[in-house]
Amino acid sequence: MNTEKRKQLKSSQESEPNLKGTLISVSVLGVVILVTWFGVLMLYLSR
Amino acid sequence: MHLHKYEKYWLGLGIIGLIAFLLILGFGAFYLGTHPQSHGELIDPENLEMNEAFHEENLGLTKVDEGRYVLNVVASAFNYNLGTDESGAPISHIEIPAGSKVLVQATSPDVVHGLNFAGTNINMMVEPGYVSALEVQLDNPGEYTLVCNEYCGVGHHMMFGTMEVVE
Repeated sequence: MNTEKRKQLKSSQESEPNLKGTLISVSVLGVVILVTWFGVLMLYLSR
Repeated sequence: MHLHKYEKYWLGLGIIGLIAFLLILGFGAFYLGTHPQSHGELIDPENLEMNEAFHEENLGLTKVDEGRYVLNVVASAFNYNLGTDESGAPISHIEIPAGSKVLVQATSPDVVHGLNFAGTNINMMVEPGYVSALEVQLDNPGEYTLVCNEYCGVGHHMMFGTMEVVE
Protein backbone atom coordinates (compact mmCIF):
# COMPACT_ATOMS: atom_id res chain seq x y z
CA MET A 1 0.00 0.00 0.00
CA ASN A 2 1.48 3.32 -0.92
CA THR A 3 1.50 6.26 1.49
CA GLU A 4 -1.13 8.16 -0.51
CA LYS A 5 -3.67 5.36 -0.15
CA ARG A 6 -2.88 4.80 3.51
CA LYS A 7 -3.43 8.49 4.18
CA GLN A 8 -6.82 8.40 2.48
CA LEU A 9 -7.90 5.34 4.44
CA LYS A 10 -6.85 6.89 7.73
CA SER A 11 -8.68 10.15 7.12
CA SER A 12 -11.90 8.39 6.10
CA GLN A 13 -11.83 6.33 9.33
CA GLU A 14 -11.36 9.38 11.49
CA SER A 15 -13.93 11.60 9.83
CA GLU A 16 -17.21 11.80 11.76
CA PRO A 17 -20.37 10.26 10.31
CA ASN A 18 -22.82 12.80 8.91
CA LEU A 19 -25.74 12.92 11.38
CA LYS A 20 -27.55 15.94 9.95
CA GLY A 21 -30.53 13.86 8.79
CA THR A 22 -30.72 12.13 12.18
CA LEU A 23 -30.67 15.49 13.97
CA ILE A 24 -33.51 16.76 11.81
CA SER A 25 -35.67 13.65 12.31
CA VAL A 26 -35.01 13.62 16.07
CA SER A 27 -35.98 17.33 16.22
CA VAL A 28 -39.16 16.70 14.22
CA LEU A 29 -40.12 13.93 16.68
CA GLY A 30 -39.37 16.23 19.64
CA VAL A 31 -41.54 19.00 18.19
CA VAL A 32 -44.41 16.52 17.54
CA ILE A 33 -44.23 15.33 21.19
CA LEU A 34 -44.25 18.90 22.53
CA VAL A 35 -47.10 20.07 20.25
CA THR A 36 -49.33 17.09 21.17
CA TRP A 37 -48.50 17.50 24.89
CA PHE A 38 -49.46 21.18 24.89
CA GLY A 39 -52.49 20.39 22.71
CA VAL A 40 -53.81 17.93 25.30
CA LEU A 41 -53.05 20.39 28.13
CA MET A 42 -54.98 23.17 26.36
CA LEU A 43 -57.89 20.80 25.71
CA TYR A 44 -57.94 19.86 29.41
CA LEU A 45 -57.78 23.46 30.61
CA SER A 46 -60.45 24.75 28.22
CA ARG A 47 -63.09 22.15 29.14
CA MET B 1 -16.61 7.46 24.99
CA HIS B 2 -16.77 9.59 21.91
CA LEU B 3 -20.09 11.33 21.22
CA HIS B 4 -20.94 13.21 18.08
CA LYS B 5 -21.76 16.87 18.63
CA TYR B 6 -25.37 16.34 17.47
CA GLU B 7 -25.80 13.36 19.77
CA LYS B 8 -24.96 15.62 22.69
CA TYR B 9 -27.71 18.01 21.55
CA TRP B 10 -30.52 15.50 21.54
CA LEU B 11 -29.30 13.66 24.63
CA GLY B 12 -29.23 17.00 26.43
CA LEU B 13 -32.71 17.96 25.28
CA GLY B 14 -34.00 14.47 26.17
CA ILE B 15 -32.60 14.69 29.70
CA ILE B 16 -34.00 18.24 30.16
CA GLY B 17 -37.39 17.00 28.90
CA LEU B 18 -37.33 14.05 31.30
CA ILE B 19 -36.55 16.30 34.26
CA ALA B 20 -39.21 18.85 33.19
CA PHE B 21 -41.93 16.20 32.88
CA LEU B 22 -40.96 14.63 36.23
CA LEU B 23 -41.19 18.07 37.90
CA ILE B 24 -44.62 18.66 36.32
CA LEU B 25 -45.74 15.20 37.50
CA GLY B 26 -44.54 15.93 41.04
CA PHE B 27 -46.18 19.38 41.02
CA GLY B 28 -49.50 17.84 39.91
CA ALA B 29 -49.37 14.98 42.39
CA PHE B 30 -48.00 16.66 45.52
CA TYR B 31 -49.00 20.32 45.15
CA LEU B 32 -52.26 20.12 43.20
CA GLY B 33 -53.26 16.79 44.75
CA THR B 34 -54.10 15.12 41.44
CA HIS B 35 -54.74 11.41 41.79
CA PRO B 36 -56.54 8.63 39.95
CA GLN B 37 -60.31 9.05 40.37
CA SER B 38 -60.53 5.71 42.10
CA HIS B 39 -58.25 6.76 44.92
CA GLY B 40 -58.45 3.92 47.36
CA GLU B 41 -61.72 4.84 49.06
CA LEU B 42 -63.29 1.43 49.61
CA ILE B 43 -66.92 0.37 49.68
CA ASP B 44 -68.65 -3.00 49.91
CA PRO B 45 -70.24 -3.47 46.46
CA GLU B 46 -72.97 -5.59 48.03
CA ASN B 47 -73.79 -2.93 50.58
CA LEU B 48 -73.47 0.51 48.96
CA GLU B 49 -75.61 1.98 51.75
CA MET B 50 -72.58 1.78 54.06
CA ASN B 51 -71.51 5.04 52.44
CA GLU B 52 -73.90 7.89 53.11
CA ALA B 53 -73.33 9.35 49.64
CA PHE B 54 -75.01 6.33 48.07
CA HIS B 55 -78.15 6.25 50.18
CA GLU B 56 -81.15 6.29 47.84
CA GLU B 57 -82.17 9.80 48.96
CA ASN B 58 -78.67 11.21 48.41
CA LEU B 59 -78.29 10.03 44.82
CA GLY B 60 -78.28 12.56 42.01
CA LEU B 61 -77.44 16.24 42.11
CA THR B 62 -77.48 18.07 45.44
CA LYS B 63 -76.70 21.72 45.98
CA VAL B 64 -74.42 22.00 49.00
CA ASP B 65 -73.48 25.67 48.82
CA GLU B 66 -73.61 28.68 46.49
CA GLY B 67 -72.06 27.43 43.25
CA ARG B 68 -71.15 24.06 44.74
CA TYR B 69 -72.85 20.79 43.96
CA VAL B 70 -72.40 17.10 44.69
CA LEU B 71 -73.43 14.51 42.12
CA ASN B 72 -73.71 10.99 43.52
CA VAL B 73 -74.15 8.24 40.96
CA VAL B 74 -74.56 4.49 41.20
CA ALA B 75 -73.61 2.97 37.86
CA SER B 76 -74.97 -0.53 37.47
CA ALA B 77 -75.74 -2.88 34.61
CA PHE B 78 -77.28 -1.12 32.70
CA ASN B 79 -78.34 2.13 34.25
CA TYR B 80 -77.08 5.29 35.92
CA ASN B 81 -78.99 5.89 39.13
CA LEU B 82 -79.27 9.67 39.45
CA GLY B 83 -82.02 9.53 42.03
CA THR B 84 -85.72 10.17 41.57
CA ASP B 85 -87.81 13.30 41.10
CA GLU B 86 -90.80 14.39 43.26
CA SER B 87 -93.13 11.97 41.47
CA GLY B 88 -90.75 9.08 42.05
CA ALA B 89 -89.67 8.78 38.41
CA PRO B 90 -85.96 8.09 37.79
CA ILE B 91 -83.91 11.16 36.81
CA SER B 92 -81.88 11.03 33.61
CA HIS B 93 -81.40 14.74 33.00
CA ILE B 94 -79.71 17.18 35.35
CA GLU B 95 -79.15 20.94 35.12
CA ILE B 96 -76.22 22.82 36.60
CA PRO B 97 -75.57 26.59 36.40
CA ALA B 98 -72.40 27.47 34.50
CA GLY B 99 -69.42 28.24 36.71
CA SER B 100 -70.41 25.77 39.43
CA LYS B 101 -68.03 23.35 41.04
CA VAL B 102 -69.30 19.81 41.06
CA LEU B 103 -67.95 16.92 43.08
CA VAL B 104 -68.84 13.71 41.25
CA GLN B 105 -68.87 10.54 43.35
CA ALA B 106 -69.64 7.21 41.78
CA THR B 107 -69.51 3.52 42.49
CA SER B 108 -70.74 0.25 41.03
CA PRO B 109 -72.44 -2.75 42.64
CA ASP B 110 -71.57 -5.14 39.83
CA VAL B 111 -68.96 -4.71 37.10
CA VAL B 112 -66.60 -2.00 35.87
CA HIS B 113 -68.42 0.91 34.23
CA GLY B 114 -67.35 4.22 32.78
CA LEU B 115 -68.76 7.60 33.66
CA ASN B 116 -68.10 10.19 31.00
CA PHE B 117 -69.88 13.45 30.32
CA ALA B 118 -68.66 13.71 26.75
CA GLY B 119 -67.01 17.06 26.09
CA THR B 120 -66.14 17.76 29.76
CA ASN B 121 -63.30 16.63 31.99
CA ILE B 122 -65.66 14.32 33.90
CA ASN B 123 -64.39 10.99 32.68
CA MET B 124 -63.68 8.11 34.98
CA MET B 125 -63.77 4.41 35.59
CA VAL B 126 -66.30 3.21 38.12
CA GLU B 127 -65.11 0.04 39.80
CA PRO B 128 -67.01 -2.22 42.18
CA GLY B 129 -65.48 -1.92 45.64
CA TYR B 130 -64.17 1.60 45.10
CA VAL B 131 -65.59 5.11 45.23
CA SER B 132 -64.45 7.18 42.27
CA ALA B 133 -64.44 10.91 42.95
CA LEU B 134 -63.56 13.95 40.90
CA GLU B 135 -64.22 17.65 41.35
CA VAL B 136 -64.57 19.84 38.28
CA GLN B 137 -65.67 23.35 37.46
CA LEU B 138 -68.22 23.55 34.65
CA ASP B 139 -67.75 26.84 32.81
CA ASN B 140 -68.96 26.06 29.30
CA PRO B 141 -72.76 26.09 28.84
CA GLY B 142 -74.24 23.33 26.73
CA GLU B 143 -75.78 19.91 26.85
CA TYR B 144 -73.47 17.02 27.59
CA THR B 145 -74.30 13.36 27.22
CA LEU B 146 -73.47 10.96 30.01
CA VAL B 147 -72.15 7.71 28.55
CA CYS B 148 -70.54 4.53 29.77
CA ASN B 149 -67.17 4.15 28.10
CA GLU B 150 -66.11 0.85 29.63
CA TYR B 151 -67.73 -2.10 27.92
CA CYS B 152 -69.87 -3.61 30.68
CA GLY B 153 -72.14 -6.11 28.95
CA VAL B 154 -74.99 -6.46 26.45
CA GLY B 155 -76.81 -3.35 27.69
CA HIS B 156 -73.70 -1.16 27.65
CA HIS B 157 -75.13 1.21 25.03
CA MET B 158 -78.33 1.71 27.05
CA MET B 159 -76.48 3.49 29.86
CA PHE B 160 -76.86 7.20 29.27
CA GLY B 161 -78.13 10.45 30.69
CA THR B 162 -77.75 14.15 29.97
CA MET B 163 -76.42 17.14 31.83
CA GLU B 164 -77.21 20.69 30.86
CA VAL B 165 -74.90 23.48 31.93
CA VAL B 166 -77.10 26.56 31.89
CA GLU B 167 -76.09 30.22 31.96
